[in-house]
Amino acid sequence: MIAYIGRRLLWIIPVLFTVSVITFFLMHSVPGGPWDREKHLPQGTQDRLNAQYGLDQPIYVQYARWAGAFIQGDLGPSYRFQDRTVNDIVADGIWTTVQLGVMAFLLAVAVGIPLGIFAALGHNKAPDYIATSISIIGIATPVFVLGILMTVFFAVQLGWFPTGGWKGPQYWVLPTIALAGFPIAIIARYTRASMLEVTRKDYIRTAQSKGLRDQAVVSRHMIRNALIPVVTILGPTLAFLVTGSFIIERIFGIPGVGQYYITAIGTRDYSLLMAMTMLYAFAVAFLNVVVDVLYAYIDPRIRYS
Amino acid sequence: MQKRLFGILASIAVIVAACGGATTTSPPQASTAPGSSTTPVESAAPSAADLAADQTLHIGLDGEPPTLDPNKAQDSTSIAVLHALHRGLLYLDAKGQVVPALATALPTVSADSKTLTFTLKDGLKYSNGDPIVAGDFVYSIQRTLDPRLAAPYAYVLCEIQGADLLLGAALGCGSKTAPTADADIAAALAKLGVAAPDDKTVVITLARPATYFTSVLALWIAVPVQKKWITSANATEAANYVSSGPFIMTDWKHNSSIVLKPNPNWSGDVKPTLTEIDMAITQEPAQQQAAFENGEIAMVATPSEDIQRVKADPVLGPQVQEIPTTAITYYDYNNGVDPKTLKPFAKCASPKACPTTNKDFRIALTQAIDKTAFINATFAGVGAPANSFVMPGIAGYQKDLDPYPFDLASAKTHMATALAALGVPDAASLGKLKFGFNTGGGHEPRVAFLAEAWRQAFGLQTEQIGSEFSVFLTQRTAGLYDIARDGWGADYPHAQNQLGLFVCGGGNNDIQYCNPDFDKLMAQAAGEPDQTKQTDLYEQAQTILFNDASMLPLRFGLTTYEIAPYLGGITISINDSRLPGDAQYETMFIKKQ
Repeated sequence: MIAYIGRRLLWIIPVLFTVSVITFFLMHSVPGGPWDREKHLPQGTQDRLNAQYGLDQPIYVQYARWAGAFIQGDLGPSYRFQDRTVNDIVADGIWTTVQLGVMAFLLAVAVGIPLGIFAALGHNKAPDYIATSISIIGIATPVFVLGILMTVFFAVQLGWFPTGGWKGPQYWVLPTIALAGFPIAIIARYTRASMLEVTRKDYIRTAQSKGLRDQAVVSRHMIRNALIPVVTILGPTLAFLVTGSFIIERIFGIPGVGQYYITAIGTRDYSLLMAMTMLYAFAVAFLNVVVDVLYAYIDPRIRYS
Repeated sequence: MQKRLFGILASIAVIVAACGGATTTSPPQASTAPGSSTTPVESAAPSAADLAADQTLHIGLDGEPPTLDPNKAQDSTSIAVLHALHRGLLYLDAKGQVVPALATALPTVSADSKTLTFTLKDGLKYSNGDPIVAGDFVYSIQRTLDPRLAAPYAYVLCEIQGADLLLGAALGCGSKTAPTADADIAAALAKLGVAAPDDKTVVITLARPATYFTSVLALWIAVPVQKKWITSANATEAANYVSSGPFIMTDWKHNSSIVLKPNPNWSGDVKPTLTEIDMAITQEPAQQQAAFENGEIAMVATPSEDIQRVKADPVLGPQVQEIPTTAITYYDYNNGVDPKTLKPFAKCASPKACPTTNKDFRIALTQAIDKTAFINATFAGVGAPANSFVMPGIAGYQKDLDPYPFDLASAKTHMATALAALGVPDAASLGKLKFGFNTGGGHEPRVAFLAEAWRQAFGLQTEQIGSEFSVFLTQRTAGLYDIARDGWGADYPHAQNQLGLFVCGGGNNDIQYCNPDFDKLMAQAAGEPDQTKQTDLYEQAQTILFNDASMLPLRFGLTTYEIAPYLGGITISINDSRLPGDAQYETMFIKKQ
């Protein structure tokens, strides 16, 4: 098992390498550069800045330099925020983003799974319709619509929460719910489908014919088995929440790093973009390993060697 | 509720657009006070009885400032903060006039108009308690011009004697090559026309008379910078920041908030009444609007999608103020001169390939556009038609300079002349003209309006090419479009800063324009000390530019703000960067409610 985990973790390295090469070369092949402004910088200023940041070097030299620094933990200078390094920027915002992502994830699990179970147990009856409606709305409503609706109703109209910022627990509520909306719906739907499939299994019929109480059948036999496929999507969901909160961070003015993932593209902030891409790639790859390992604990049929 | 929902939908549109990742940087958005009836200037000091107990001002800041190093800053967000933290020898007052700040008076000018001598006020101190000495002004200018700093606004100091040796042709100054070796740079810096004969005197020598130069010295780049401070580690972080202006920075939580407090060492005549300015950094205009409606911030620039709703709202409506901005929306015609060789582009060897190189063709395009209809249709009627490139409130503004007004019949005549010269039977035979713009900035309806007007008038076909911001800028600079979106915001209120764009080979000459007569008048005007004669020369130059139908000026900006009624003492000036009165926070106060 340990050997398996070690092997899987080592595999992350070639994954990151491939992602970095593709991103680096794609990024530099897009026209434009970090010094583009509506009011042009004089060409000489741009040349000098390019020389200072090594952007005048051949692209493979730039990659080699970037990779060398990255291995040593140096993410490079930010081109947009010239007085700061990418390490500073990431260190400033990463924990806010992770906190927001983890809170939204816990909320999504805490609401999504019971909602799915609730729907499955009341299959084709009122509970199912209610839960399914909620999850369809959750899937169909883009996160920015949910975010702004919540701002308008709960902040501007009712005045219960501030409209933005990140200064204390009352600031966490709206963004966390807004960010959790979509994963709640997805998790609920997976759970429901998975529960329904398990309901038809022989071992459930066996359990029921043994005369076990319904509650025991559901909790001991159905839910445990039904959760295996749900765990599959939890890994990517967590990765998505931790790194994909760009829009929510923007709408609620949250000082995380998620928003840089998109703004760095627009400003051609190459080093910041690389840092964010590597972070995302690592989060997805690592959490997938975690999920695979969790399988072994949840499903006795799965054993790694 | 219906109105709210409408606002929500509009806000969603903003966010969708904002997520395009475009970064429209920084025409510092100055606003004009003169002649504006909607802009009360309250600069009288408030009596203590009228003041609220809590003098904390809460406002939003549009995004994290890229830098608070005054010599390096170039965008309006950074400048909005720098204006509170620093003051130079001179500053711009509410009327846009250059007035002394840290200097005792306007400079003594030598007989040849080339040497400006300033005397510093007595007892000037930085926020750290160190004295502000003349050498710090010299250092600041030297540092800005040092090619190793690659300061984006260095070129505005080009008129200083010896600046051309440092900046050179490539940095838009003179014809020399900029030095790269440290020793050469040091030698050139030593020869630069800035000196501090003693701690209280700054002498600036210009290469040629440039009457607008006092306006440049009122900019954020020319403030005193202490070498000890700026060369220290993490100088621009709140803990280390040294300021010379009315406020100091006590906290900067990156990407989250900036807190300013009064500078105890500020020696200016107007001491801040506010005890704290709390700037919440947020990138999203819709969030700022919501924060304003929720009473969290005292001012907001109303997002364009919310303007109609806000104006009609019984509570918000009365808080609206519309303030003219020194900014112009215009569209480029490709005049076809390669800025590098100053000859027509190779691809324009056959005029048919570049119809906008034909003056009659440009006149026809210009006369086919009804500017008022354009503003009504695509700017919700907000803004004024632009018939001048120099903006209202700035000397050289020509209200009625409009050689080719909207006139479809005349447009068609000019088009016929142009088509004959180009050797094609009709406009459709020219193929599709390349019409470039950047996506995500709300330009689509404007581009569509213009393209449709030209199609209806002449049957002219255009290919509307929407690109991501950086890609668009690269293509536009390279002259790859026949027609392109453009805009300019004044850096300082002087005709030179606006008409200077179109000097042959200029860095922002996106219309690829080159007219020696125009260049000659511009050079003459810069050297003319007499204000009236100078303005006349700029007007002559502008008339040439307009007679050539070199570009399509459309609209002077007007920004809609909501200002909470409890906010007083707002000194609206041409120098404001993002919000009304943000160039002079020291006059602002919170009224008792």
